[in-house]
Amino acid sequence: MSSEIAIEVSNLTKYYDDLLAVDHINFEVKKGEIFGFLGPNGAGKTTTIRMLTGISIPTEGTATIMGYDIQRRSVSAKEQMGIVPDVSNVYKDLSAWDNLVFTGKLYDMPKAFRESRAEELLRMFGLYERRREKVKGFSRGMKRRICIAMALMNRSRILFLDEPTSGLDVQSVLIIRDLIRKLNQQGLTIFLTTHNIEEASHMCDRVAIINHGKIATIDTPEKLKRTFESLQSVEVAFESTPQNALKELGELPQVSEAVKEGDKFRLFTRSPSSVLASTWNYAQSNNLKLITVNTVGPSLEDVFVKLTGIRPATAEGEPERLDHGIAQGTTGREEQQ
Amino acid sequence: MKDMHSSHLGKEIRVAWAIAVKDMRTYYTQPPSIMFGILFPFTLFLAFTIGRNLPLAEQIPILISQTLFFASSSIGPVVIPLERADQTFDRFLTSPVSLLSILMGKTLGGITYGVLISVIPVLVGIIVFGSQIANLAALIACFALSSLAFSALGILFASIPGQTVGQVMMPLNFVRIPLLFISGVFTPIGQLPAWMQAVSFLSPLTHTVELASYASGGDTFFGPILNIIVLGAYAAAFVFVSIRFNIMNQRKE
Repeated sequence: MSSEIAIEVSNLTKYYDDLLAVDHINFEVKKGEIFGFLGPNGAGKTTTIRMLTGISIPTEGTATIMGYDIQRRSVSAKEQMGIVPDVSNVYKDLSAWDNLVFTGKLYDMPKAFRESRAEELLRMFGLYERRREKVKGFSRGMKRRICIAMALMNRSRILFLDEPTSGLDVQSVLIIRDLIRKLNQQGLTIFLTTHNIEEASHMCDRVAIINHGKIATIDTPEKLKRTFESLQSVEVAFESTPQNALKELGELPQVSEAVKEGDKFRLFTRSPSSVLASTWNYAQSNNLKLITVNTVGPSLEDVFVKLTGIRPATAEGEPERLDHGIAQGTTGREEQQ
Repeated sequence: MKDMHSSHLGKEIRVAWAIAVKDMRTYYTQPPSIMFGILFPFTLFLAFTIGRNLPLAEQIPILISQTLFFASSSIGPVVIPLERADQTFDRFLTSPVSLLSILMGKTLGGITYGVLISVIPVLVGIIVFGSQIANLAALIACFALSSLAFSALGILFASIPGQTVGQVMMPLNFVRIPLLFISGVFTPIGQLPAWMQAVSFLSPLTHTVELASYASGGDTFFGPILNIIVLGAYAAAFVFVSIRFNIMNQRKE
């Protein structure tokens, strides 16, 4: 294995009885990378992270962490990592200080080192003044920060973050994202699972999209966007919207799909210039006044929808499965690949 | 001198102890620990003693056995389901320490609880009833091996996947309460029919009752050496099965 590889996954598979949750996945994460692991709910993200961190034993396949097999050399592998699970699993009846010190004890850190590290982290996270308070009185964002601090106690080389900003207020989200970037700049490899596409797009060097337990694609966010030229679109809004506009716009030449987004229409196409012309003609012939016209490149969200058939806007709650790639409120011809 | 923090065994022991201390601080005063570990054995003892015209002083070894049995075996079934529900148990699984050390840490929490609670009837016996400790070594063996075996029994049942105390306590009590009736708690082993004596030999509680009785100057039916061997064997078996169950859980996770 190359010394540049932090995580190497080979044929990793997990069955729950007859249910195949993770299906022979393979990927590598380079040292110093922020690697995003995207997928809708139930796609296999958390199962994968649980296998990589030693909580769950894979049915098949192997995973190495900094060269250590998580099954055969689990202690060495676990010494390399810090884990922030999807739920802030802090000890609510212990103080913030005791949570960090206990974590230091689990890593067998000498007393002086664990106490200085706990102080350093609590100051870094703005919680030092409240270190004596029991964590059960903390807000969700503060618990999340404590949880991340606990994951950093052992000066890990890889940080696993499972949905780190899910359900948090905007301020906490910004603090955590900023922190992740800083930690990465200091050389920490970050493995981040999320269903927040924008988060992944802005933060990750590379992303893998997993769906139904299989890796659908792995690449940099920008390359993924460029791969899907058909996901270019023209965004238009009219001063007043005719009743059949969605259907009629979807039938314009070169439009593969039309989606209504609020008071705007988004027309997916491989040829934005042709669609701009036909949209202009449509507006003229129907006496409509165009108030917004934008050409939009494919977003990572579009790539995600294309690959998984699920709109991430609904993924925070129950995922909404699209029938044949056409969502409610959309119309248009089947897209040519 | 070799750096203490580089010793693998030393590390495992330190981590196990850290887990035990954390459990003591966090869970000893939780209502289920008090109910199943303290109120349960004392209430059962009083329920079966009051009105039977039994001299209380002679019943002290029985009370010691019951408190060791219930208190030691109650901590694991309280702590582990609650930690599963909070996902804090995952912290142990992701820490760089063996599963054996994690479970030994949990077991130590039960041992300490059982010993602390069971010292109370010993002190009451000595101070209130003027009881004598006839064999201190037997009493120490009784405390050490019984608390270990019963705490490990609790950990074994806590390996049943569940996120509430009730999910673990119910099957545990299904085993614990019948054991009271075959272990010489209410009827001395010598007065039981031969087939019941064979059955009572299989109960670990029998050997705790016998050692406690022997330590206070009474007789033992099976003999203190056999009592010690059987309790030691049960402790090892319970720990071994707990590890197997936890590995099975990780495969199902």
